[in-house]
Amino acid sequence: MSKAKTKRISPAVKAAIHQLVIIIFVVIWLVPIYAMVINGLKSDVAVYTTPVLVPSSSPTLEPFQAVWSSLSRPLLNSLIIVLPVAFIATFLGSMAAYFFYMLSNSFSKVSSFISNFLFSLISLATFIPYQATLIPLTKLIADMGLLNTYWGLAFAFFIFYMPTGALLMSIFITAIPPRIIEAARLDKGSDWRIFIKLVFPLSLPGFVSTLIFNIIETWNNFFIPLMLTTTPNMRLIPVTVQSFTGGYATLYNETFAAAFIASIVPLGIFIFLGRYFIKGLIALGTGGKGV
Amino acid sequence: MVKVITKDVTKIFKSKKKEVVALDKINMEINSGESFGILGPSGAGKTTLMRIIAGLDVPTAGELYFNDELVAASNRLIVPPEDRNIGMVFQTWALYPNMTAYDNIAFPLKSLKISKAEEQKKINDIAEILGISHVLNHYPRELSGGQQQRVALARALVKNPSILLLDEPFSNLDARIRDSARALVRRIQNELKITTITVSHDPADIFSIAERAGVIVHGKLVQVDKPSIIYSKPITVEVAKLIGDLVELNGRIEDRNGATYAVVDDFSFPINKINASNVRLGIRLEDLKISKESSLGSDWFLVGRARVKVSSYSSGLFRVTVVPPSNDNTEVVVMMDKPFDVGEEVNLFIRLGKVLVFT
Repeated sequence: MSKAKTKRISPAVKAAIHQLVIIIFVVIWLVPIYAMVINGLKSDVAVYTTPVLVPSSSPTLEPFQAVWSSLSRPLLNSLIIVLPVAFIATFLGSMAAYFFYMLSNSFSKVSSFISNFLFSLISLATFIPYQATLIPLTKLIADMGLLNTYWGLAFAFFIFYMPTGALLMSIFITAIPPRIIEAARLDKGSDWRIFIKLVFPLSLPGFVSTLIFNIIETWNNFFIPLMLTTTPNMRLIPVTVQSFTGGYATLYNETFAAAFIASIVPLGIFIFLGRYFIKGLIALGTGGKGV
Repeated sequence: MVKVITKDVTKIFKSKKKEVVALDKINMEINSGESFGILGPSGAGKTTLMRIIAGLDVPTAGELYFNDELVAASNRLIVPPEDRNIGMVFQTWALYPNMTAYDNIAFPLKSLKISKAEEQKKINDIAEILGISHVLNHYPRELSGGQQQRVALARALVKNPSILLLDEPFSNLDARIRDSARALVRRIQNELKITTITVSHDPADIFSIAERAGVIVHGKLVQVDKPSIIYSKPITVEVAKLIGDLVELNGRIEDRNGATYAVVDDFSFPINKINASNVRLGIRLEDLKISKESSLGSDWFLVGRARVKVSSYSSGLFRVTVVPPSNDNTEVVVMMDKPFDVGEEVNLFIRLGKVLVFT
C-alpha cells in the first residue's frame, strides 16, 4: 500500500504538469502575435535598437497610422471578396456533400459509381496544390475578361474552396444518424427540405468549422490575388502586406503593424466562432463513422 | 387501404469475402387493414424485411406488391419510399432533434399543401389521442422515452399512412409503460384500420398487437399463423422458444401397455404414437405443476417423483426448478403460487396432451 502511494503522482501535481504543458504551448503559439503587436508599436529607431521580444519603452501608434492609408482599400477588397465567397463556397459545398451522401446511399450501382468517381475528382481538386493550376487559371480568367475584377477573384477562390467545403462537409454529414434522413424521406421531404430543415441545422457546427477554415484559407491566400490583380485598387490584403518588405530596406515596425492589421479579421473570426470550430471537431470525433 | 404481398423476396448482403443471406425467399400476404407481427431473434432479417417494405432497401431478388402494384423487384426500386405513403416508427424513433415535438409531427404535413389551420387541427387531434398535447413545444431531448415514442407514433400517423411499420417500437421503453404503449397502438390500429406491420423479438408485442404473425428464423419465414396457434402448435423448437418460455428435454420413446411415453430419466411423458426412438420435448411452464398430492384430477398426469433444486420468484409466481432423483442436470422449471423448500420431494404433473414433440 505504502509502496503504491510513493509511486503515484498526486492529482494536484498531475494537474499542475498538465497546465504547465498547456501554458508552454500557448506561449509558443502566441509569440508571433505578441511580436507583431509590440514591434508595430515601436518607433523607427526603437525597432532597430530593442530586441524583437522586448517592448519599447515609449510605444507609439505611428506605424499603424502610417500603414493604414495604404491598407484600408485592400482590407475592404478582401472583406468584399472573402466573406461572401467563403460563405457561398461552404454552403454549396455542403449541398454537394449531401448530394454525394444521397448518391452513395442509393441502391443503384451506377449512382454509387458516379458518386465515388465525382468524389475522387473533388478530393483531387482539393489536394492538388493550387499553384500548379495557376497559369491555366490566369489564362481562363483573362479570356473571360475578368482580370482585375472582384468577379474574377471571387470565381478563382470559388473554384478552389468549394471542393474543400464539399470534402470537409461530407465528413460532417455522415455523422448525422442515417435513420433521421430515412424518416424524413418517408415523410415525403424533398431533398431541398431535408437539406435545409435537417441536414444543414444538424451539421451546423461542422458548417461553421468549414466556413472558418475557408475564410482563413481564402483570406491568407497570396498567389491567386497576386496573379489576378495588377492595379493597386484591386489588391487584396496579403499582397499589400508583402509589398511592405522592400527590396533594399524594410521598415520592420510598419511591416509588423501591417501584418497585425491583416490578421485582425481571421483572428476575430476565430475568437468569436472558435467554440463552434471546436464543437465541429468534437462532432467528428464522436460520430464521424456514421451511427 | 393496402394489402402487402411479398413474392420470393430475397436479400443478400455481399461484403468482400462472404455473402450473407438476410432473407431467403419470403412469401407472405398481409391483408388490408390487418395487424401483422413479424417475430424473430436478433439478426434474423426482420428489420431488413421491414426496410424493404418501406423502400429504404431493395430486395436482391423477388417482388414486392402493394395491392396489385409492383413496388420493388430485384435490385430495383419501382416506387420510391416517399411515394409509398408509409408511416414508420423506428427502433430509435429517429425524431428530428432540432425541431420541437410539434414541428416533428408537422414535418410530414408540409408536403400535403394543406392550410395552416387544418395542419394545426390535425396535429392537435393526434396529440390529443396520444396524450402528448402538453409537450408539443418541447424538443425531443426534453421528453421521456414514452413521450418520444408517442411523438414518433404521432408523426407516423398524422399523414394518414396506408401502411404503418413499427420496428421494435417498445424495446426502448420502460417495462412498466410498455403495456400501456402496446394497448395504445392496438387501439389506434383498430380504430383507423391501417395495415400495420410490427417487427419484434418480444412475444409480448406480438400477442398484444398482432392478429397474425410470421416467424422468421435465419432469414426464412418458417410459420405464419395466429399468435395463439404459433404458441400452442409451433413447428420447430426455435419457434416454440421465440414465442414463449419453454422447458426443453430430450426424451427416449418407450411403449408400455400400448401407450407411448417419452422417458427422461425418472420422468415419463405421455405422447401420441410416433415413429422415432429419440425426440425433443417442449413443455410450456403453465402446463407443469408440482404437488405433494399423488393425484390432481383427470386433467393432470403424474410424470414422476422429483426433488426441488432451486426455488426463486418471478412476477407474482414462485419459479421452482425440480430435478429427477437420479439426474441432477435434468432441470424442469415450474411456476407455482407458493414457494417450496429446497430438497423437498414432490410429484411432477403435466397437463394432458400439452407436450410439444419435435423430431
